[in-house]
Amino acid sequence: MSVSALPLAVTFEAFTDVGFWSGVLVVAGIYAVVTLGLQLNVGFTGIVNFGQAGFMAVGGYSMAILVLEAGLSFWLALPIAVLVTMGFGLLIGLPSLRLRGDYFAIVTLAMAEVVRLVAQNARDLTGGNKGLYCEFEGVNQTCFDDAWRSVSDSMLGFFESFWSDPEPLLPLLIVIWVTVAIGVVALTYLQGTPWGRVLRAVREDEDATRALGKNTLLYKLQSLMISALLGALAGFFLALFLATIHPDDYEPIVTFFAFGVLILGGLANYKGVVVGAILLWTLLEGTRFVELPISEEKTAALRFAIVGAVLIGLMAFRPQGLFGKREEMVLGD
Amino acid sequence: MTEPAQQAQGAPLLQVEGVVKRFGGIRAVDGAGFEVATGSMTALIGPNGAGKTTLFNAITGFQRVDRGSVRLAGEEVLNLPAYAIARRGMVRTFQITKALEAMPVIDNMMLAAPDQPGERFRSLVFHPRAARQREREVRAQAMEVLEFFHLAEHADAYAGTLSGGQRKLLELARALMTEPRLLLLDEPMAGINPSLGRRLLEYLQRLRAEQGTTILYVEHDMEVVMNHSDLVVVMAEGRTIAVGAPQAVREDPAVIDAYLGGAA
Repeated sequence: MSVSALPLAVTFEAFTDVGFWSGVLVVAGIYAVVTLGLQLNVGFTGIVNFGQAGFMAVGGYSMAILVLEAGLSFWLALPIAVLVTMGFGLLIGLPSLRLRGDYFAIVTLAMAEVVRLVAQNARDLTGGNKGLYCEFEGVNQTCFDDAWRSVSDSMLGFFESFWSDPEPLLPLLIVIWVTVAIGVVALTYLQGTPWGRVLRAVREDEDATRALGKNTLLYKLQSLMISALLGALAGFFLALFLATIHPDDYEPIVTFFAFGVLILGGLANYKGVVVGAILLWTLLEGTRFVELPISEEKTAALRFAIVGAVLIGLMAFRPQGLFGKREEMVLGD
Repeated sequence: MTEPAQQAQGAPLLQVEGVVKRFGGIRAVDGAGFEVATGSMTALIGPNGAGKTTLFNAITGFQRVDRGSVRLAGEEVLNLPAYAIARRGMVRTFQITKALEAMPVIDNMMLAAPDQPGERFRSLVFHPRAARQREREVRAQAMEVLEFFHLAEHADAYAGTLSGGQRKLLELARALMTEPRLLLLDEPMAGINPSLGRRLLEYLQRLRAEQGTTILYVEHDMEVVMNHSDLVVVMAEGRTIAVGAPQAVREDPAVIDAYLGGAA
């Protein structure tokens, strides 16, 4: 970055850089997957789930542990880890979804922190604060993402036939965004079905819905388990992106960034999640390049202030978010 | 219109016996019991705090009960989950209207229809056609009922944009979509203007005549109770103190006592 003569300036070189955009889009895609689950829970079922980071951690850790400790193949570990995470969602939801909304929110937040703290301390299984990546046996080294690396390399080899220097993140980026696309299509379809109608009714008034013969607990559980599934997928992608699984990557702030995406995009709209994720992460990463005559640490802190100001401005002038419906928000209260 | 003191015929559809519900030291319902004959229109009345709404909640599974028995068509339903009781054909409305406000009127109606396979995740994946087929039937049926309640023109509007009276009608129409055997209405006339109230009563009478729906309702408007009930159940302090035809109940000294505040 060049030092500018102006007191405030943005260098635009970064915005034409493929590396910058693939980084932003990978992270945005991971957040889009996580937030699709939140949208299903918060926007369409009316249950406030603060535990998405916990589901990501359960998914990521189970996958890595199955590969490294149990010696399972990566491709078998993925579906098993998804089932483990969904089962975990069921376990958390069964007692807590009977609670009133705000208590459920507290339980999920606590659940996510319990998962993270267990991961930090169960060193034999999770590697504690060293995290998980590779196991060594003599000269042989097994890493949880070996299988993915070889797929990624062959994809890159294919790209090389028409692009001299392909972006190394491109294969992951493609897989993530295909997942996002499938997620948006599937969830949008579900929302239009009678099943989706019961979910919305639960969001509007659970008692009225029970009075019409619907087992509302079952629907809330299903909503939470689908959200856990999406959390697990996002956990896999994050692990592959960072090439490590570390407790610090699953702090509650992850869930709150996802809520930022949700609010930005607007409630009860899946497309909003996608646009919100791209926007939030372009904003967060783009503000790195704002140059101010202050130290770099201060600039780093200021990024969040800028993003915060944008969110506050949005709440003031467009409280329904970019794609939310204002009528639904007003009537929903 | 039915004659006021018409004798209710048929076996009891609902039998409530010795229901007790305590909140801490207070017995909100203290051994109340009565029967609702099939095809009848029964009113549940009593002074404020008599335990009518608590009993309603207890019967419909919205409130767990300490003791007692509630039988629907001979089957014990006490302390079953609310949704299970509704599926057996005993469907309630609420004192404070619960329209699903940020949903269109038509969705409110279609939601209530029973036996929609598309509400189950598995059949949605494996038998999507059955769900679509049922959806068409339900939509036609919902429009018919909305027509009946003069709400058809609002079918695509958000339920929250309806007036208070229209919401009350919507809640009743929605309850009817479940095809109930026994309809429990908690103060159906409260908060609606007299002309709409008359229409609502007409609907209820037609419903009973044409579909044989049994109705149990809580109401404070004595004119309505006296003119539109086959049987009146009077509650005071958690107990049923009188059961009988409107005329008989009106002259019952225990009832007069309870209403005039002399209850010991």
